[in-house]
Amino acid sequence: MSAPAIPAAAAPAATAAARRPLVRAEDVTVRFESRDATVQAVNSVSFTLDPGEVLCILGESGSGKSVTLRALMRLLPPRRSRLTGRIEIGGRDVLAMSERALADLRGTEVGMIFQEPMVAFDPVYTVGRQITETIVRHEGAGGPEATRRALDLLERVRIPSPARRLRAYPHELSGGMRQRAMIALALSCRPSLLLADEPTTALDATVQIQILLLLRELQRELGMAVIFVTHDVGVAVEIADRIAVMYGGRFVETGPVRQIMRDPRHPYTQGLLTSTVHGSLRGALLEAIPGSPPDMTRLPEGCAFAPRCRHAEPRCGSSPPPAVDLSPRHMVRCVRAA
Amino acid sequence: MIGGGGRADPRGGGAGVRDGADPRGGAGLQGGGTGGRGAPPLPPPLLEVRGLRKHFPVRGGILNRTVARVEAVDDVDLAVRPGEVLGIVGESGCGKSTTARLLMHLIRADAGRVTFDGALVRADDAAGLRELRRQMQMVFQDSYSSLNPRLPIEETIMFGPKVHGVSAEAARERARELFALVGLDPAQFIRRYPHELSGGQRQRVNIARALALEPRLLILDEAVSALDKSVEAQVLNLLLALRRELGLTYIFISHDLDVVQYMSDRVLVMYLGKVVEIGSTADVYERMQHPYTEALLSAMPSMDPDRRIERPPLAGDPPNPINPPPGCRFHTRCRFADDVCRHAEPRLAPAQDAGGGDRRGGEDSEDGAEGRDHLVACHMRAAGSGHGRAPAPVGR
Repeated sequence: MSAPAIPAAAAPAATAAARRPLVRAEDVTVRFESRDATVQAVNSVSFTLDPGEVLCILGESGSGKSVTLRALMRLLPPRRSRLTGRIEIGGRDVLAMSERALADLRGTEVGMIFQEPMVAFDPVYTVGRQITETIVRHEGAGGPEATRRALDLLERVRIPSPARRLRAYPHELSGGMRQRAMIALALSCRPSLLLADEPTTALDATVQIQILLLLRELQRELGMAVIFVTHDVGVAVEIADRIAVMYGGRFVETGPVRQIMRDPRHPYTQGLLTSTVHGSLRGALLEAIPGSPPDMTRLPEGCAFAPRCRHAEPRCGSSPPPAVDLSPRHMVRCVRAA
Repeated sequence: MIGGGGRADPRGGGAGVRDGADPRGGAGLQGGGTGGRGAPPLPPPLLEVRGLRKHFPVRGGILNRTVARVEAVDDVDLAVRPGEVLGIVGESGCGKSTTARLLMHLIRADAGRVTFDGALVRADDAAGLRELRRQMQMVFQDSYSSLNPRLPIEETIMFGPKVHGVSAEAARERARELFALVGLDPAQFIRRYPHELSGGQRQRVNIARALALEPRLLILDEAVSALDKSVEAQVLNLLLALRRELGLTYIFISHDLDVVQYMSDRVLVMYLGKVVEIGSTADVYERMQHPYTEALLSAMPSMDPDRRIERPPLAGDPPNPINPPPGCRFHTRCRFADDVCRHAEPRLAPAQDAGGGDRRGGEDSEDGAEGRDHLVACHMRAAGSGHGRAPAPVGR
């Protein structure tokens, strides 16, 4: 319960952060520990994110993509997980923050949206009340002002008859509407960073594209940076400036979206793209990746993808492959790229 | 046998119990499904459904009275030809999974006539249903739910054949064959429990379980949707190989339009319990006639950063299937909706080009030329429907 002095949180964004990266992650490592096993969920992930940039973390289930996102906001269960490394958001050290400073950061500078909107909303309060409460809590706006802002937000995320929806409970909205309301909630304090964890995965195709386009538009208008976690290459291509491909808890390749799509260099990225069905020739054999994703409690010494990789060589097994910078913005972790 | 013609099914006239050697042994009966479009007489459908309907009552109030109805499946007609893959696509609540469960007789239809291999299936004939479920098996999305967590997977696979009177010895032998068939090494996997497998491996076991009774038709209900892409590709490859080797027929249900296009010979598009369009995969994906099909397809991600989608093809969510809109159920989201769409329900009929041309011969035409089996339920495509954009009626 100790609450040390809150650092001068008042004006960090205005002055210094002009050309500094908004997010800087260095050697972020997450372990989940239980009596019989340690899950090596995230292993030395480092990246930076510029203001206004959209980074997609692309990976399959268990690759550590959601855990990485949650780690940025220290949203991991404190007793069972161990988070090490360094995380800076807007120049402030997230791992050194007090719980209170962190709560402030979560509401103001950083907004979050999830796959399941019901986790963001409290089912017993109306949508309007929850949005206005956030605005009042974080910005100290008065009631009527907050209500006006909430209405404005619902209009902005294109919820029809917004005045009526403000008085609705979360369960009274359809799936797509709820997702929009959650976006409104996340944007209520004009964050400079939006963290999105598979926000369109549970939606139907025609609704998914609406939400993606809405996010793209809001991101441009508000100049927000976004970290968007997804398993779906198609979704990543629609929204990302940059893609980070994750496998076995590591970023195995990062680069601008065009580079990743046209000239993927990591064998896993290549396999992921060839095994994703897209306008394929009917009946032709898909180039699948053999085997299954690694057991995160027993990651191999070397490259985690080596057991499934058709280019694997003896040296892949000895130590984790180094990060190779093919260009200032294209990194790949593969011994063959060096 | 029905229909005569060179493409007679060597598996014989249907329902007889087959034991001993597998008569399917890779015979070339695949031609009908894949390459054989354009070859004269098509075989009669393996499974045919007319007027399938299921309305679920919604109860509420103090007296628990029916206050509304979910028209989950409403007057659905479909036919699956032997050896083909019929894809069913649509968004959540469109009735695709309910249709699958109705076909399996897992839930009872309110109306509808199901014939399997030419024989009428009667919902009150327990022995007949048992036989139907032997010939027709289903694989579900949740790979856990159809495996008993307390049994080694081998026992689960042996269970079906044993119920159908196969000796334990023979069932065990069969299980080993099936493991090998779906690409799991029997020596390594046979004694494992479901939780000891990965999602892809569990789905392979489910496919093996479904094949244990030597069915002719598999209903795959979102069977690969829960799998990671790298594993999904493996399972899709397996399904295509099994179809080729065993001469199977599939109903492949998915919300993933790319996967359905890849797997299917013909595709059926559903919206709010209705069939809105059905045709060959090429017809539906390249010459789609229904505005909903068009919207659905243009919502597919482009996979090309330079050709991102700029405008959403549809606004809003799919409406609630409780008390669906009158007339054409799509009219509330359709940008072409006209007066007629709001009150008259369009009939599923051969697609007609806006130019007035008829795209087919006749509904029952056995001549599988392109476009002939392409049906659409849209006033805009029906001559003389009263829709402003409908083609002019052609005097015949």
